[in-house]
Order: sequence, then structure tokens, then C-alpha cells
Amino acid sequence: MFLVLFSVYMLIPILATYLFSIAVRWDRSILPEGYTFDWYVQTFNHPYFLITVKNSFLLATYTVAANLVLIVPATYLAYARLPAAKIPIDVLTILPFGIPRVILALALVTVYTVPVINRSPLLLVCACTVFSMPYMYRPVANSLDAIDLGTLNDAAMIQGANARQILFYIVGPNIINGIVSGCLLVFSAIFAEYTLARLITGARFKTLPMLLVEFTRRDGRVASSISVIAFTVALLLSLAIIALAQANQRRGEQAVSGAGKNT
Amino acid sequence: MLVFRERTKIGRFGSSRDGRMRSTRFSALWGILPFFIFCLAFEIVPVLVLVKESFFNAGGFTLANYAGLGEKVYLAAFWNSIRLSGITALIATVLGTFVGYSIFKTKSRRIRGVFEAFSNVTTNFAGAPLAFAFIIILGANGVVTILFMQLFGLQLYPQFQIYSYAGLVVAYVYFQLPLMVLLIIPSFSGLSPEWREAADSMGATTWQYWRYIGMPLLAPSLVAGMVLLFANAYGAYATAYTLIGSRLVLVTTQIAFVVTGEVLHDPALAKAMATISLIIMAVCIGVYRLTLSKARGWST
Repeated sequence: MFLVLFSVYMLIPILATYLFSIAVRWDRSILPEGYTFDWYVQTFNHPYFLITVKNSFLLATYTVAANLVLIVPATYLAYARLPAAKIPIDVLTILPFGIPRVILALALVTVYTVPVINRSPLLLVCACTVFSMPYMYRPVANSLDAIDLGTLNDAAMIQGANARQILFYIVGPNIINGIVSGCLLVFSAIFAEYTLARLITGARFKTLPMLLVEFTRRDGRVASSISVIAFTVALLLSLAIIALAQANQRRGEQAVSGAGKNT
Repeated sequence: MLVFRERTKIGRFGSSRDGRMRSTRFSALWGILPFFIFCLAFEIVPVLVLVKESFFNAGGFTLANYAGLGEKVYLAAFWNSIRLSGITALIATVLGTFVGYSIFKTKSRRIRGVFEAFSNVTTNFAGAPLAFAFIIILGANGVVTILFMQLFGLQLYPQFQIYSYAGLVVAYVYFQLPLMVLLIIPSFSGLSPEWREAADSMGATTWQYWRYIGMPLLAPSLVAGMVLLFANAYGAYATAYTLIGSRLVLVTTQIAFVVTGEVLHDPALAKAMATISLIIMAVCIGVYRLTLSKARGWST
């Protein structure tokens, strides 16, 4: 009973958005008065649509890249060679969960007032990286926790492997799932990110969620098709993350939590 | 690149084992350093500067910015934010516990997997898309609004409005509830079936079991979940902004108005608001860690 009510409550808004996006008119009756793909055509023809998709895609990609460069090596090296660094890394990567994005944006625009950086897409990428660090760190740290790095390392050394071979043939395959999970989580969080983009760059660098908010006030039908596109992307990414986590579980490793905290 | 650096270092200094250890640690630091510098530059320093500046104005050190928060609109913002976060956290904790228990009770790994995936997907359906979805279904001409009228003759409007506090509660519970379900399901595994059997064999009723055994054991997890939900709702912005804009003042929307320059508030006041919010967040995280360690203590 609880499960049925729960499912209904959770499904109605999503299904309604999908249905609304193909409805001719749906404000006088229980079911839409007809179906059309016009709103999608309008969306794709909107001059800003492709630009904002591209911007969101670039923002998410750069943020993933920054996470890969900053978090993955630091986490790996802390586990492999410098355990003393584990705690500070842990604290620094979890901290963003306690900083609301509005406050992070306020802090960054307060400090970085230099003309070139101030409210630039570059600052936005940095903000998104800070906010998304926990999404990359957790899966990577979990997969490193799941393997006994020291023993693996010693075993490989005895067999005569060098540092490079150890990294690529021993450690790499064991943590690649964690890294891929992290990348997908970061990408999906930033592709849907509204707050930081709106507050830091504003209209200078419009992202897809910003276009969506604009249209919720102007044209609900176009808004619903943008919403469907954004949600479908997020849905596919989530399913990939869950599938990956389950594959990991089956391999007998500790599950990589796919739970994202995003509002 | 990293590997390359390590190898040359080892090759150059690695004559004795001791020296090699030191040099690998040293080279490891080079790989970690960029991360620390980045965190310092874009996480720690900006937040500290923000907190510092909340105590200053043109004349130097002052508490005037905090005194300025005594104004009606700012008090309302804090009150609304705290009330909204508290109510939605409470509703989601209670409902989420029942839903979580129903899922746990099915004992089917498959069903549990499906609902966990479902919760995972829906808890991320937040922000602008969520606000918009609720406008579609619960707006003045929304499908649920019409459904209520035609099926039950229940007129939601104008008493209820989606662009209002009540509307925000409904929308917030939407992303809070699945999060609670995800957080609480693992804690049911901590209730070992033997305790239930022991209670049953001593003639305890279901109510007595939950009152004296189940609930006290679950309590730390429930509190931990609830403070996490509170913090989650307190920091949320996109949903509130899309749904109500400036119709209702919240801490996050007020701070955002200062950042975007839409409403001319004093920036120093926003910094003071942000500092108080950070303290609230810190308290939430503190309580979360404390109760969580207690919950872990029980289940082992």
C-alpha cells in the first residue's frame, strides 16, 4: 500500500511532464486534447537551444576533466604512498556538501573580482568542480578501499613489475569502475546544474537549465520539452551509474554508492 | 605523467631504501599538491573571506551587519527557510521510514534493487524540472487540480496555490522522500530478526516491540537522516526560485538576489546571512556525524 502510494506520488510529476510535452492542449481536461511533436520542433529551432545544450555539455565535460586531474591522482597517491594525506583529502572533498551552492557562489564572486576571472565561465568551472568533488571522490575512494593496495603492490613488485605496470595493469583495472562512476555522477550533476551557473555567469554563459527556467515563465509547452530532454539525459546517466554499481557488486567488490545528493 | 615523474625520481635518488621511501613520499606530494592548492583557492579561502567580510563595513570591524538582520524581511527569510526545511524533513522522515520499511519487508533483493534505483532517479529530479512539473499538475489548470474537482468535487484553488509556501512543501517533499528511503533502508538491516523473535516469545505485541526495541534502535538513524534532509532543503535554491521567485522570502533566494543584483540589498548583510547559514549547516553535519556513529555502534 505504502509502496503503491509512494510510486504514484513519485511518478505523476515525471509522467505528466512527458505527456505535457506532446500534448496539443492540456489545461481543461483530464487527458490531453491531442498529441503533437510541435513543441520539440519549436525547441530545436529556438536559437538558444543548441547553444545552451553545448554550454551545459562543455561545462560538465570540463568539470569532469578537472575532477579527473585533481581528485583521482590525489586520492590514489594518498592511498598508495601518503596515508597521512587521506584525512585532509576526506575533509576537503566532503566539505562542499555543507556549503549551499548559493553561498559558494557568493563567496567566489566576492573574492574573485579581477576582471578576467570575475563571473567568467572559468570561475564557473572551478565552482562546479568544488561542488562536484564529493561525487568523484566517494566512488574512487570506495574502490580503493575495496582492494588491498599494499599487498597488490608487493606482489607485483616481487613479480618484477615496475611502477608503471603496477598502475596500468594492477591498480587501474581495479579502480576504473569507481572512476567511471564518478565521472558519470559529476557529469549528470553539472549538466543539470542551475544555481551556480545562474549566480556566477548569469546571461553571459547560458546553460540548458537556465533556458528551462526562462521558458517556465514564458511558454510552458516548450519548457516541458526542454525538461523532458534534460530529464532523459539524467535518467540515462543514472541508469548507467546503477548498472555499473551492480556490476561492481557482482564482482564482489564493495558497492559504489550511486546515491547522488542534488537539489 | 605522474608515473613518469615517479620513475625518474626513484631512478635518481633511489640508492638506499630509506631514500627511496622519502623520495616517493615527496613525489606523491607533488601529485596531491594541485588538489590542495585548488581547494585552498576556491573552497577554503573564499568561505573564510566571506565570513571575515561579514564582520566588516566601510568603517572597519563591526557587528552592524548582524544587527541589520533584525529587520523584518531577514527574520522572515530565516523563519521561512527553517520552517520549510524542518517540516519537509519531518514529513519525509516519517513517510520515508514507512516506505523504506515496506521495501525492506518484501525481503526480495529484486524489489529492493528496483525501488532503490527508482528512489535514486527521482531524488535527482529536482530543481527547475521539478518545479515545472508541479506547476503542470498542481497549477490552477493542472491535471491533478482538475482531477480533484471532477472526481471528488474538491476545489483546490484558491485556498491552495502551487506558487506558495504549501506548494513548496509539496515540491520539497518530492525530492526529500526518496532520499530518506535510500538513507533508512540499510538501517533496517541492523534490526536483527532474533530480537523480534525474542520479543514475540516473551509475549510482546507489535506495538511493544517497536516502542521498546525497534524505535530506540532506529532512533539515531532517523535523527541522522532528518538533519541531512534539513540541510538538504535549507540549501536548496532552484526549486524555490522557479516556483515562487520573490513571492516568499527564503535565505537562499535572498542571498541569490544580492549576487545577481536583482534586488538592491546590502551585500554585507548577505554575507552575514551566509555566515549564519554556514553555522546552521555545521551544526547539522555535527549532529549527523554524532548520531551516525551511534547508529553504527548499535548495529555491530
